[in-house]
Amino acid sequence: MTPLLEVEDLRVSFPTRHGRTEVVRGVSFSLGRERLAIVGESGSGKSQTGRAILGLTPPPGKATAARLNFEGQDLRNATPKQWRDLRGRRISLVMQDPKFSLNPVMTIGRQLMEAATRTSQTRAEAKDHALAMLEAVQIRDPLRVFKAYPHELSGGMGQRAMIAMMLIPEPDLLIADEPTSALDVTVQIEVLRILDRLVTDRGMGLIFISHDLRLVSSFCDRVLVMYAGKVVEELRASNLAQAQHPYTQGLFNCLPKIEGGIRPLPTLQRDAEWAR
Amino acid sequence: MTLYWSREWLLAEQPASRRQARVGQAYRTWLALRTNRMAMVGLTIIALLILMAIFAGVLAPFDPIQGGDLRTERLQPPSWTHLMGTDDLARDIYSRILYGSRITLMVVSLVAVIATPVGLLVGTIAGYFGGWIDNVLMRITDIFLAFPQLVLALAFVAALGPGIENAIIAIAITSWPPYARLARAETLTIRNADHIAAIQLQGASSARIIWGHVVPLCLSSVIVRVTLDMAGIILTAAGLGFLGLGAQPPQPEWGAMIAGGRQFIIDDWWVATMPGIAIFVVSLGFNFLGDGLRDVFDPKVRK
Amino acid sequence: MGMIDITDLAVTFGHGAARVQAVRGISFSVQRGESYGIVGESGSGKSTVLRALVGLAPVTKGTLALDGDTLIGRRSKAFYRRVQMVFQDPYASLHPRQTVDSVLSEPLAIHGFDDREGRVARALDDVGLGLGFRFRYPHQLSGGQRQRVAIARALILEPEVLLLDEPTSALDASIQAEVLNLLDRVRTERGLTYILVSHDLAVVAHMCERLMVMQHGRAVEELSRADLHARVATHEYTRTLLLASEGYRVSDGAAQGAAS
Ligand SMILES: Nc1ncnc2c1ncn2[C@@H]1O[C@H](COP(=O)(O)OP(=O)(O)OP(=O)(O)O)[C@@H](O)[C@H]1O
Ligand SMILES: Nc1ncnc2c1ncn2[C@@H]1O[C@H](COP(=O)(O)OP(=O)(O)OP(=O)(O)O)[C@@H](O)[C@H]1O
Ligand SMILES: [Mg+2]
Ligand SMILES: [Mg+2]
Repeated sequence: MTPLLEVEDLRVSFPTRHGRTEVVRGVSFSLGRERLAIVGESGSGKSQTGRAILGLTPPPGKATAARLNFEGQDLRNATPKQWRDLRGRRISLVMQDPKFSLNPVMTIGRQLMEAATRTSQTRAEAKDHALAMLEAVQIRDPLRVFKAYPHELSGGMGQRAMIAMMLIPEPDLLIADEPTSALDVTVQIEVLRILDRLVTDRGMGLIFISHDLRLVSSFCDRVLVMYAGKVVEELRASNLAQAQHPYTQGLFNCLPKIEGGIRPLPTLQRDAEWAR
Repeated sequence: MTLYWSREWLLAEQPASRRQARVGQAYRTWLALRTNRMAMVGLTIIALLILMAIFAGVLAPFDPIQGGDLRTERLQPPSWTHLMGTDDLARDIYSRILYGSRITLMVVSLVAVIATPVGLLVGTIAGYFGGWIDNVLMRITDIFLAFPQLVLALAFVAALGPGIENAIIAIAITSWPPYARLARAETLTIRNADHIAAIQLQGASSARIIWGHVVPLCLSSVIVRVTLDMAGIILTAAGLGFLGLGAQPPQPEWGAMIAGGRQFIIDDWWVATMPGIAIFVVSLGFNFLGDGLRDVFDPKVRK
Repeated sequence: MGMIDITDLAVTFGHGAARVQAVRGISFSVQRGESYGIVGESGSGKSTVLRALVGLAPVTKGTLALDGDTLIGRRSKAFYRRVQMVFQDPYASLHPRQTVDSVLSEPLAIHGFDDREGRVARALDDVGLGLGFRFRYPHQLSGGQRQRVAIARALILEPEVLLLDEPTSALDASIQAEVLNLLDRVRTERGLTYILVSHDLAVVAHMCERLMVMQHGRAVEELSRADLHARVATHEYTRTLLLASEGYRVSDGAAQGAAS
C-alpha cells in the first residue's frame, strides 16, 4: 500500500540580506493513515513544514523537496486548479493562531458556511452541518457562536471554531498546527477524540504539530522531534520518555508537575552542536 | 558620520539607538521598493515632474504667458524652436507645460496634505469609538460619496467661485471620504486587538491611542490609496480647468490648455495633445508608484 | 480585606437574543503578596473576570475592590499604575510597528516617570533580555521573547498586582519554564500579587497558593496547592480535569466511539 503522504528532503528558505536562510533543512518522512506528531521548540520550523506540504509557504519564502507525494500525486508542481481541489477538501490545515486566521469582520457562521456549502446541497443543510460540527467540538451554544464575531469568543472557542471549519469537508489528510494549545484538558480530550475517530474509522492521516509532550506521547503513534529545522529524532510516541536526544530529554524535565517539584524549574541548556 | 550611515549601520540586526532603528526601518522599506521595477518607473516620473517644476524657469525657452508675434507665430507645428508647437496666442506649448507642472504639483500635494489627514482622522475616530460617533461620521461620508467627485467639486467651485485655489479646496473636500472609509475598515480589524487593549491598560488617552497606535497601522494602506488616486485628482483638476472653473487663463494649467486647444483639434492637433500626454504620463507615474507601494507595504496581495 | 476583593461579580455581553452571561456571580479575594489561580473550562469566563477587573468588560452586578477601594466605571490612571495585565497571545499583544523600546517607554511617558532610559534598560534586564533587543521590532522576536517583552511592559510601571491571562499557553515547554521562573522570581523580589489564569493544572500548581475552578461562568470549587498536590477534589468537574491532565488514553476514544 502506498503511504498517504511522502516527503523527502523538504527544505524551506527565506531570503535575508546574507543570502537565503533555511528554516526547514531536509525533512523526510512518510505518513500512513496514522497520527504523526511533530514536536520541537518555538522557531524550529514545525509550522513551516506543515505549510510547505500544502504549498502555502509565505512569499518570498521558497520550498523545495526531492519528493512530495500525496496518494501518488506529485504536489511539487501541482497547478492552481489541482491545489483548489486538494486544499480544504482533501487536505486541511488548522492554522496555529486562530485569532489571526479568522477574519475579524466576518461572523464565524459565514466563515463556516463557506466551507460547508461546498459539501452540502442546500443552504439549510450546510447550516445544519456547520452547527453540528460546532457542537462536535464541544461548543456549548453553537447557535450563538455561529452568529458571533471572532473577538466575541474566548481564546479556546476561536480555536475550536477553526477546527470545526477544517473538519467540515472531511479531509483525507489533516495538518493540525497546535490545535489544542488554548483548550482546557477536558475539551482538549474531546477534540482529540474526534480526531482519533477520524483516523481510526475513516482512515484519515493526521499530522499533529504540538509542543505538549505529555499530550503527544499519549495521543499519537509516532513522533518527529525537530530542532533548528531538522528532524533530530524519530520515535514511537509511547517511547518518548526514553528519548535519546538531549533536547527531547530536556524538554521533559522543563514541565511543571501537579504533584509539585523543584523550583525554579530546570531550563534547557542549548548546545550549538544540536543545530548542526 | 560616514561610518554611521554605512550599509552595516543601517541594516544592523540590533540597532543601538532609536534613530538607527527608525532610519534602518526606512532604509529597509526603500530596499524593498527599489527591487520593484514598476514603482521605480513611477518614482522616476514623479521625480522628473518635481525637477521640472523647480527648474521651469531655467528649462523653459519662452515666457509661458506672454506669447510671440501673433501674426507669424500662431499655431506653429512642433519644430526645433518650438518643441511642442505654439498655441492660438503664439505661446510656446513646451514652456507652458513646464510651468504647468508647478500647478499640477501644487494641486496634487495640497490635496494630499489636506485630504489624507482628514480622511484618516474621520475614519479612525469613527472606527475606534463606534456607536453614534461612527454613525454620524459615516453618514456624512456617505453623503459625500453619493455624488461623483467631479460633480461635487463642480458644485463647490460654483459656490466658491472659479480659480485654482478654490478648485484645490473643492477637490480636497471631495476626495477624503474614500480614505475615511478605508481607514475605518482597517480600524475595525485592529480595534479589538490585544495590543490596543494593552495600551488602554497603560492608562493612555483615546487621542494618544488613535494617533500613536491606530493611525500608523492604517497609514500604509491609505498612502497607497492616495497615491493611486493622484491620477484621478489630476484628471479632476484638469476637468475643472477644462470646464473653465479651475485655473483661469492665462495660467498654464494642463486641463485648461486642452480646453483651449479643442477648437483646433482637427487642424492643429498638438495644441490639445501635448498637455494631454503630460497628464497621461504623470497619472501613469502615480499609478505605478501606488502599485509598487502596495506590494511593499502589503506583501499578502502580491502574487 | 484583601488586595483584591470580588463579590458576586456578573458580566453580561450584548442584549436580547445575543445576550451572553459570561460570568454569573463569582466571589473571591486575594491577599497582598498571594498568587491566586483560576482554571476552568474553555469559555467559562476566566479571561472575562480579569478583563472586568481592569475595566475592559461590562460589569452588570457585584463589586470589585482594590485594596479596599471599590472600583466603578472608568479606571483612573492611578489604577493602571497599580494593576497591570499580561495577555494570552504574545503574537497579538505587541504593536507590530513599534520597537521594544517604544513599547516600554510609552507607559513611562504616560505616567510621567523620570529616568526613562535607565528604567527601560533595567526592565529589559529583569526579564532576561539584553540591551541588544531594545530596538527590535516584534517580528524579529520569537514567541517567548515577545511574551517577556509583554511582561516587562507590565512590570515597568512597578505595579502591585499583575493579572496573567494564560501567559505560557502559546509557548513550548522550555520557554514556558523560563517565563514561569521569571514570574516566580519577580514576585518574591517585589512582593507582587498575582492572579493567574491557565488551563494547565500543572502550571497553576507550580505557581499559585490557591486556585478557583470555574465552569460555565460560575466558581465550582476553591482548592489549595496542597489539595492539588494530593489530588483531592470534591467537584465532579475538577476530578475530570485532574484525570484528563494525565494525557489522552486510547480508551477515551474507544469508550466514546462505542457509546455514540
Ligand atoms: N515570513 C518569514 N520570513 C522570514 N523568516 C520566517 C518567516 N516565517 C517564519 N520564519 C522563520 O522560520 C523559522 C521557523 O518558523 P516556524 O513558524 O515554522 O516555527 P515553529 O516551529 O512553528 O515555532 P512555534 O512553536 O513558535 O510556532 C523561525 O525561525 C522563523 O523566524
Ligand atoms: N466582547 C464579547 N462579546 C460577546 N461575548 C463575549 C465577549 N467576550 C467574551 N464573550 C463570551 O464570554 C464567554 C467567556 O469568555 P472568556 O474569554 O472569559 O472565556 P475563557 O474562560 O477565558 O476561555 P478560554 O480558556 O477559551 O480563553 C464566552 O462565551 C465568550 O463567547
Ligand atoms: Mg508554529
Ligand atoms: Mg481566555
